[in-house]
Amino acid sequence: MPDTHFYRYDEYDRTLVAERVDQFRDQVRRRLAGELTEEQFKPLRLTNGLYLQLHAYMLRIAIPYGTLSSRQLRKLAEISRKYDRGYGHFTTRQNLQLNWIKLEDAPDALAALAEVDMHALQTSGNCIRNVTADHFAGAAADEIEDPRIWAEIVRQWSTLHPEFTFLPRKFKIAITGSPNDRAAVRVHDIGLRLWRNAAGEVGFEVIVGGGLGRTPMIGKTLRAFLPKNELLAYLEATLRVYNRYGRRDNLYKARIKILVHEVGVEKMRADVEAEYAEIRDGLLGLSDETVEAIARQFAPPHLPPRSSLVAAVEALRLEDRDFALWLKSNVAPHRVGGHAIVTASLKPAGAPPGDASAVQMEGMADIADAFSHGELRVSHEQNLIFPHVAIEDLPAVYAALGRLGFAEANVGKITDIIACPGLDYCALANARSIPVAQRISNHFADLARQHDIGDLKIKISGCINACGHHHVGHIGILGVDKNGVELYQLSLGGDVDFGKTALGTILGPAVTADKVVEAVDALVATYLDARIPGERFVDTHRRIGAQPFKERVYALV
Amino acid sequence: MAKNLSGDLQVASANRLSDGVVVWLNDAGEWTTRLDLAAVAREGRAGEILLQRARAEAFSVIDPFLVAVIEEEGGVIEPLSLREKIRASGLTFDAIAAEAVRYA
Repeated sequence: MPDTHFYRYDEYDRTLVAERVDQFRDQVRRRLAGELTEEQFKPLRLTNGLYLQLHAYMLRIAIPYGTLSSRQLRKLAEISRKYDRGYGHFTTRQNLQLNWIKLEDAPDALAALAEVDMHALQTSGNCIRNVTADHFAGAAADEIEDPRIWAEIVRQWSTLHPEFTFLPRKFKIAITGSPNDRAAVRVHDIGLRLWRNAAGEVGFEVIVGGGLGRTPMIGKTLRAFLPKNELLAYLEATLRVYNRYGRRDNLYKARIKILVHEVGVEKMRADVEAEYAEIRDGLLGLSDETVEAIARQFAPPHLPPRSSLVAAVEALRLEDRDFALWLKSNVAPHRVGGHAIVTASLKPAGAPPGDASAVQMEGMADIADAFSHGELRVSHEQNLIFPHVAIEDLPAVYAALGRLGFAEANVGKITDIIACPGLDYCALANARSIPVAQRISNHFADLARQHDIGDLKIKISGCINACGHHHVGHIGILGVDKNGVELYQLSLGGDVDFGKTALGTILGPAVTADKVVEAVDALVATYLDARIPGERFVDTHRRIGAQPFKERVYALV
Repeated sequence: MAKNLSGDLQVASANRLSDGVVVWLNDAGEWTTRLDLAAVAREGRAGEILLQRARAEAFSVIDPFLVAVIEEEGGVIEPLSLREKIRASGLTFDAIAAEAVRYA
């Protein structure tokens, strides 16, 4: 089995996770024996990632910074088969959710996770959640530094941090190491962007107060350039200010984005810098040795440069149209010549977005072992990535993915839809998301048409909590409940590309479920009629405004 | 939480503690996975009594609550809200089948 090229638990991590499994096993035993009430037990199960949804318990498993080994993915498949219904749902926070876990099995599932250095801690509750990162990290051609090194440092700092276990509200951190943001850093509580200043030094832009949900906001720059080794002290100062001043009187106003909005970023900055001045010379300073020790664990696999032009690949490109389209949409440049990053689309036509069966997970683990040094990534767009594939292996990877049903050439296209679980699973949802995504996916299934339409991101949420990121969809779709009827509110113009991060604006009155596909079709037709060469859907919308889209949609529905 | 849809008929529902499965209280005061066997409260006061009884029998379930239902021809009970219809009948799409894809 290939060695991993990312952080492996040390004895401290293993002991911590094992102790938590034992604690939870005892807590479950006491709950089932009636020694704990649900009121007493609920915070304990949530701390361990166990939610109660409409039909069953759901276990949310953390996949730190979206990085997985083939061994871990096989274990997830095994757990889903043994303790669930043989499939899982990859989420917009790079987690995996198992939707049918029994309470009595949950401790065994957690113990199985611990065997492969995984857990479900801090996937719920008002704490610092799983830190997310660019899913092309460590492989991207445009990367300045691997953000996972810093994500791991943040993970270690934030895990069971005693001061930040009961924040006013949950707290999400995302990190990118590339100028082309793939981690949506401006819509997180804290977004961190590695960049190189004029002096050639690499540091962080610290962005604060972004978020989606019922009050979407784009984050503001708290510190334009933070030396890397000061990261933890600065995060600690920021969290302390939030912990002190964040609102606890109103659940809907408790996120840091509301605090930043209410006091203004200047005041926030002044408070954070004052706190930072107090602690910057304390224990949280990161020595070069500490950082290097973590960085060594993320040392990339040995990839000898190869030719990027491979005769067999070029031949197949000419004879197989779908392969040619797949190369365009699902294969991205790698930092090492002759290699590529491959995205396996978990969005085959008409399938629930982000779902994979145990067999499919095992198949992808096999592909990772054979062609990607045993590594995979989960994207916040609910796809899986093979980060290190030799270009000469692309035909074999494409064929293997085809056998799994995950070779759809649609990444970034109209059927690469983000959708939350919606009312089919979720206790918070007002409307269904997955069936809407399925209908849109089936309607636009033709690959040539998708590629003609070009890059177009549809994001669907089943309620205002916006797990489906609808605010930043080129086309956002929000399910609402009006007098017991599902309606869908359309918004246009959202985006998360760095420098262009924008929140969509509502097009007009919500449409009924049976009109959603027709409405999306009308939006696409408006774009196709109006676009000029090279324009994406969102560019055309920016240029011509919402009115032409609005007129066409509401003439139909 | 069910929406406040008007409905004179109510049943008591909850999720089973051991596995989260949706259950309803029957006339014998037991929790059943069959909605058609649920005890039906036919007026407001009966609903309150049904809920009290459900809470008294809550050892093996989580947070009992009342669900507004209608009675169709033939006595078939159907929840009024979409959320409760989905709780009663399951996913409204075909979940991915665990072994549907064979990796060769």
